[in-house]
Amino acid sequence: MANALTDVQNTFLSLDNQYNMLRAACKTDQDRANLAAKYTDAQKNYQTTLNKTLEDDDVQVAALSKALKAANSVVDQATKEMGDMSKVLDGITTAIDLGSKLIACA
Amino acid sequence: MRCKRRLRIGVTLFAGPLLLMAGCKTSADAAAAATQMATTAKSLCDYYTALKTILDNTDQLYLLNAQLYAKPYPAENRRQVKDTEAELEKRAELASDFSTLSAEFGKLTGSTAPADVATSASKLEGEVDTLASIKASSVEQAALKTAFQLLTTAIKEHKEREAAKAMDDATRGLSDLFAKETDVWNSTEVVYSSIGSTLAGNLVDGNATDNSALLKVALDPFGLSPVTASADLNAQLAPLAKQQIATKKADMDSAYEKATDAMTKSLQEMSQRIHTVAEDKPMAYRSAPLSVSTVEAWASQIMSTGSTTSATPASKPAK
Repeated sequence: MANALTDVQNTFLSLDNQYNMLRAACKTDQDRANLAAKYTDAQKNYQTTLNKTLEDDDVQVAALSKALKAANSVVDQATKEMGDMSKVLDGITTAIDLGSKLIACA
Repeated sequence: MRCKRRLRIGVTLFAGPLLLMAGCKTSADAAAAATQMATTAKSLCDYYTALKTILDNTDQLYLLNAQLYAKPYPAENRRQVKDTEAELEKRAELASDFSTLSAEFGKLTGSTAPADVATSASKLEGEVDTLASIKASSVEQAALKTAFQLLTTAIKEHKEREAAKAMDDATRGLSDLFAKETDVWNSTEVVYSSIGSTLAGNLVDGNATDNSALLKVALDPFGLSPVTASADLNAQLAPLAKQQIATKKADMDSAYEKATDAMTKSLQEMSQRIHTVAEDKPMAYRSAPLSVSTVEAWASQIMSTGSTTSATPASKPAK
């Protein structure tokens, strides 16, 4: 449970931490709407994971957890570079999707 | 949720069943175990209540973020936060009622088994059923429910030995439930301190804070007070303000970790001591587990000020 929950939690906290900077970098209303939707999803995933049973020694959970860790790193790196907003949003989408798959394992 | 303070009554009344458990020759041990159990159960209630305060504060932070920085906080997500808050309320209630049951248990003398004691045990059994939303601890919840069922039956049938064993099982069940859910509550605190520190940092960046409070260390010794900082001075002090946020966040996390560790140790210790008495063996300890004071100091700090940093508690002798 600990690792999977922490990974989903980190996706949300990373997005919360960078949100103002990312929003300022959005060029269109659509970008801002996409970003807001990702924030909502990340928060929802986190809250949902709190009430799920995710065993870290489950093979599928472990694999998704590992992939989510990598996705969180990609988002962090893309946010630091901030060259391409769509790349950042794609990274966030990947991380949130992996979080949703983890929740589905419960 | 106000955790019931019935310890003085509990010491007298709760000694009764433990006397039944252990026999008169170990009455001093039984009385000591009663005190320790009552103290620890109350601390557990305080711990859950403090966590509920933390979650309530998190909800307020989300609302502020939505208002100030357009971070969405839709009704569905808020409902999930409130649901988790309700789970904490249930656990606080369970811990409080466990303490009450302990006191009522003392009314069991001779062949008399007051109906209200059995009713209290039965109520706890029902309360365990309501914890089911946190699925991570399903196995531990089932074990606790079984212990309360056995306790209710044993009391109704005047079977003191079985009641003693069920009490032993219930105490261990409470400890196991706490241990299994620790990851969930740890995450709740981490998210609170992270969301809060990020928001505080954003407010410093937005020049929405008066950073002149940082000058107090220089001015207080000379009986002087800082003026409201100008925009230039505020900007100059901003890095120090952010450093203070980071330091306070680390203190909050550390205080919480120490309180959780102390709660875990207190419950485990209590479980071992009750088991010893229930097994009719000598129990040498004469005061509550030392670690309980750490939990109480942390919970008291949060519930009185809303802050999540804690003063170092005064230590108590372990024996």
